[in-house]
Amino acid sequence: MRAKGFSFLKSKRGLWLIGGLFILLVALVGLWSCQGGKGSLSKRVLVIGFDGMDPKILTRLIEEGKVPSFEKLSKTGDFLPLSSSIPPQSPVAWANFITGMNPGGHGIFDFIHREPESYFPFLSTSRTEPPKRTLKLGGWVLPISGGKVELLRRGRAFWQVLEDYKIPATIFRVPSNFPPAESKQRTISGMGTPDVLGTYGTFSFYTERPQELRGDITGGAVYPVEVKENVVKAQLVGPKNTFKKDNPTAVVDFTVYLDPENRVAKIVVQDEEVILKQGEWSRWVRVKFPMLPLLASLRGICRFYLKETAPVFKLYVTPINLDPADPAMPISTPRGYSKELYRHLGSYYTQGMPEDTKALDQGVLDDGEFLQQTEIVLEERMRMFHYELERFRSGLLFFYFSTLDQGTHMFWRLMDPNHPSYDPQLAAKYGNVVEKLYQKMDEALGVALRYVDENTTLIVMSDHGFAPFYRGFQLNTWLKENGYVALIDEWRQGETEFFMNTDWNRTRAYALGFNGLYINQAGREVYGIVSPGPEKEALLEELVEKLTRIRDPQRGIQVISHIYRSDEVYQGEAMKYAPDLIIGYNWGYRASNETALGMFPRQLFSDNTDKWSGDHCMDYVLIPGIILSNKKMKYRQPALFDLAPTILTEFGIPLPKEMVGRSIF
Amino acid sequence: MSTAKIKLDKELLSKVKKYADLAGYSSVEEFITHALEKEIAKLEESASEEEIKKKLQGLGYIS
Repeated sequence: MRAKGFSFLKSKRGLWLIGGLFILLVALVGLWSCQGGKGSLSKRVLVIGFDGMDPKILTRLIEEGKVPSFEKLSKTGDFLPLSSSIPPQSPVAWANFITGMNPGGHGIFDFIHREPESYFPFLSTSRTEPPKRTLKLGGWVLPISGGKVELLRRGRAFWQVLEDYKIPATIFRVPSNFPPAESKQRTISGMGTPDVLGTYGTFSFYTERPQELRGDITGGAVYPVEVKENVVKAQLVGPKNTFKKDNPTAVVDFTVYLDPENRVAKIVVQDEEVILKQGEWSRWVRVKFPMLPLLASLRGICRFYLKETAPVFKLYVTPINLDPADPAMPISTPRGYSKELYRHLGSYYTQGMPEDTKALDQGVLDDGEFLQQTEIVLEERMRMFHYELERFRSGLLFFYFSTLDQGTHMFWRLMDPNHPSYDPQLAAKYGNVVEKLYQKMDEALGVALRYVDENTTLIVMSDHGFAPFYRGFQLNTWLKENGYVALIDEWRQGETEFFMNTDWNRTRAYALGFNGLYINQAGREVYGIVSPGPEKEALLEELVEKLTRIRDPQRGIQVISHIYRSDEVYQGEAMKYAPDLIIGYNWGYRASNETALGMFPRQLFSDNTDKWSGDHCMDYVLIPGIILSNKKMKYRQPALFDLAPTILTEFGIPLPKEMVGRSIF
Repeated sequence: MSTAKIKLDKELLSKVKKYADLAGYSSVEEFITHALEKEIAKLEESASEEEIKKKLQGLGYIS
């Protein structure tokens, strides 16, 4: 037989046959892999991030048979709570996920940090620098050296490590990655990506009756308009034109032609035109803010929502998003990836968290309108999810959904009669919104499961769970009342933000952000008075002891369930901005808005009557996230920072020494 | 443009002269002006507290 085989191989006819078979095999493999990536020959890891998915809610819905895909995956694979970051704030948690480190390594401790040399606050995740040199020509100011936007997260992202080993990765909108970390991998930024104004999302609302809205509008701008002979003339407001002297605001005119009888409007903006019925959302409209005649303009996209034609004209416009076809700031790697998605799928939300929670909180959109907008965002995401799954051949695909996080923040109030914002009438209509959103996520998982084969490891995860936010605690006020903070003018208490009225020479501790407490330490803070060593140690112990004893006089509940010392829970080289203590608020409690901004209002507690009613800036042990996989987890207490090591280990890549996590399989 | 004189100690002045030259500034004044402008811009940047508040409001965490 061996001799026969040998002669077969030696014959010309045999070689032709083998060649033909080989070509056929290659063609078959090609055909197979073209079938929507449903079968793969290479190792694949698919990670789906459902921001804010909560294990308690998910377990209940699985038990009630309402989320069949999650039920199937938990039964055939595995399902455990996933320990979040300390503190469990989104930028911190996702940085743990991305780097496999804790805040000591990646340097993100809170939404807000402070410079100890000046007590100045700054946003922890990114920094924008204006042009260093400019040239003034008459009324124009031309930048000679460009400004830049910088990601402040330290440490390497796991997809950068994958790149070293030639493993391809697509990272879709992971938070804590704006501007996207340098990479040849396909990445597009998510939470933290600004709109054209540089904010995290500023809506516009044009109305004949601005007085109907409550006092200060935050997160958006309200523009009074007049209807004259069924025509409204208004302007879309863009960023400041830094090319011009005195930086006037760039604007684009638009006109609305109304047919009040039929409740229809035609909106004309530059060379675009949309016709809307009352209660209808427009497609994306592209707008161009001229900045330098013939030389520079800034492109954006927005959607219009015709809330009411008559008797009162009301028009909502989404924040003007960076145009993915020509973004004014870096939002993807390679830069062309955002454009590629646009070419295949059309325009899409580029701002970090597109669900307009501010418009709902301010009463500009009602519950139903907010849910319509959430649905638009989700439809866009699902089209992108299909697109990426279809071409997912090998390596890693991470895909992110913001729907649940935003929905649970806003609708906790209608599923919890104990919440100060609970409204029984609205609850009858919208009390099951959160549950419905979980079912939408179940549909997304169902789509993904169709693409999972024996070569695919599937990981479904969330960064944290959820708890109610019933009452805000004024930590800075407590510090003041208990002698740890001194004010310059007592009578101005509560009037100023960011410690403006603080007498630092008599202040021993202060709080900033949602969970951070800092000692005013000599040699570190510019006017620090507490010596490092025994004096600081004694103060830390005293604060922990006193703070964990506080009870809410109204509800009789312990307000702070645990306090963590940063020198005990963090490891790494990026400790410069670490608070000394991390406050773990109990179920139902959170740092008040004022405490986060370094204020000292006079009352210690305040009911949260906002629609933003669920939260997670609490004790991390109370609100773990979720992890499900088609593989059994050997390590039964997984944490967020274990996922980067897990992904690398799945591809047989040795772990960088700075990672603190381990593989869960 | 009104001008004012400032005092620098000798050691610092010699360093300023050396690095102004190395960095390609046309004069010591230009270097000092640029350094001060940069530092002020940094402080103004940090001091844009209203901006921080707006961004947190934009995210929804404070109202």
